[in-house]
Amino acid sequence: MMKSKILKNKTLIVGCSSLGATITNKYSSEGKNLMVIDKNPKNFDRLSDRFSGYTITGDVTSIDVLEEAGIASAKEIVIVTDQDNINIFVAHIARKIYDVPNIYVRLLDPNNEALIKGMDIKAIFPLELSYDKFNILRGGRR
Amino acid sequence: MRIVIANGNNSADYIIENFKGRSHSLTIINDDRDVANKLARSSKLPVVLGDFTKVPTLKEAHIDDADLFIALGHKDADNYVGCLHARKQFGVKKCICIVQNPKNVEVFKRLGLDSVISSTETLVSSVLAESSLESLIKTMSFENDKIVMSEIVIKPNYLISHKRIMDINFPKEGSIACVYRRPRVIIPNGSTLILPKDKLFVLSTPESQKMLIDFVQKSKKK
Repeated sequence: MMKSKILKNKTLIVGCSSLGATITNKYSSEGKNLMVIDKNPKNFDRLSDRFSGYTITGDVTSIDVLEEAGIASAKEIVIVTDQDNINIFVAHIARKIYDVPNIYVRLLDPNNEALIKGMDIKAIFPLELSYDKFNILRGGRR
Repeated sequence: MRIVIANGNNSADYIIENFKGRSHSLTIINDDRDVANKLARSSKLPVVLGDFTKVPTLKEAHIDDADLFIALGHKDADNYVGCLHARKQFGVKKCICIVQNPKNVEVFKRLGLDSVISSTETLVSSVLAESSLESLIKTMSFENDKIVMSEIVIKPNYLISHKRIMDINFPKEGSIACVYRRPRVIIPNGSTLILPKDKLFVLSTPESQKMLIDFVQKSKKK
């Protein structure tokens, strides 16, 4: 296992979901320092052959796993597991305990927006995005 | 008091049994249809079938007028979010939850949820509390822990063994309330002889408990 301290200015990708893998592959091609965490190692198959970052298999709701991944020195964390509750929990840890400068989180349930309000956490709501796209497709009427 | 209990199977059952009939009004949330049906039948209480981390489920359980929310889910992140919704969105003052990972007790605390219970952590801390006073010693406390009674068995190698109480210079911070020597109970005085296998019941304040136990257990010099 590599020592996470070696990686300065790294980006942590929490959850190698389709979105997580897509962001990782894009970042990797830009030469960013990356660390990807997922509970299921099979999900790392989604990473491209040219991916040059690091992966950790583990439960992201364990603070030991997040520490091992180097959350304390991360400059950016992208939290995109497929479970809102895990994403909220990790986002709160990232903000309140480690104060990671940039926090991005994906939330499937719009009701969860209230739980991150005022915490400087940037959220992606797929439902909202799909609805907006739908409106564009049908001619810009809202 | 109005209490909403989310998930848990046997644990929910146990809590319900204990709270029922104590002028508490209980509502149950469970995401498992079989468990929900079972609880509804056995408790005759209102049961909401659904995911307690979702706002509509919590609304259906009328959580907004609950005084206490108890989350017994088996995923720590679920309990965290459930409690957060209950508190932030519905203004429930007291939220209690369990966690599987004992380290999350501290994490939840730092995130602002302070009523978190981990069975592993509880077990470890009670073992630690016992072992700090030698595991053989039983302790009882009275008057909100202001008075403690320690139960110490005398071994032949102890310095005070085979001596009279008046000769051992027992510390003034405590007193030997009683000596149990099978099958007799002795209320000791100065001339009472302390013998191996005697069980001493020592009364003291919690602050001097350790010192007194050390005194009783001091071994004879070789």
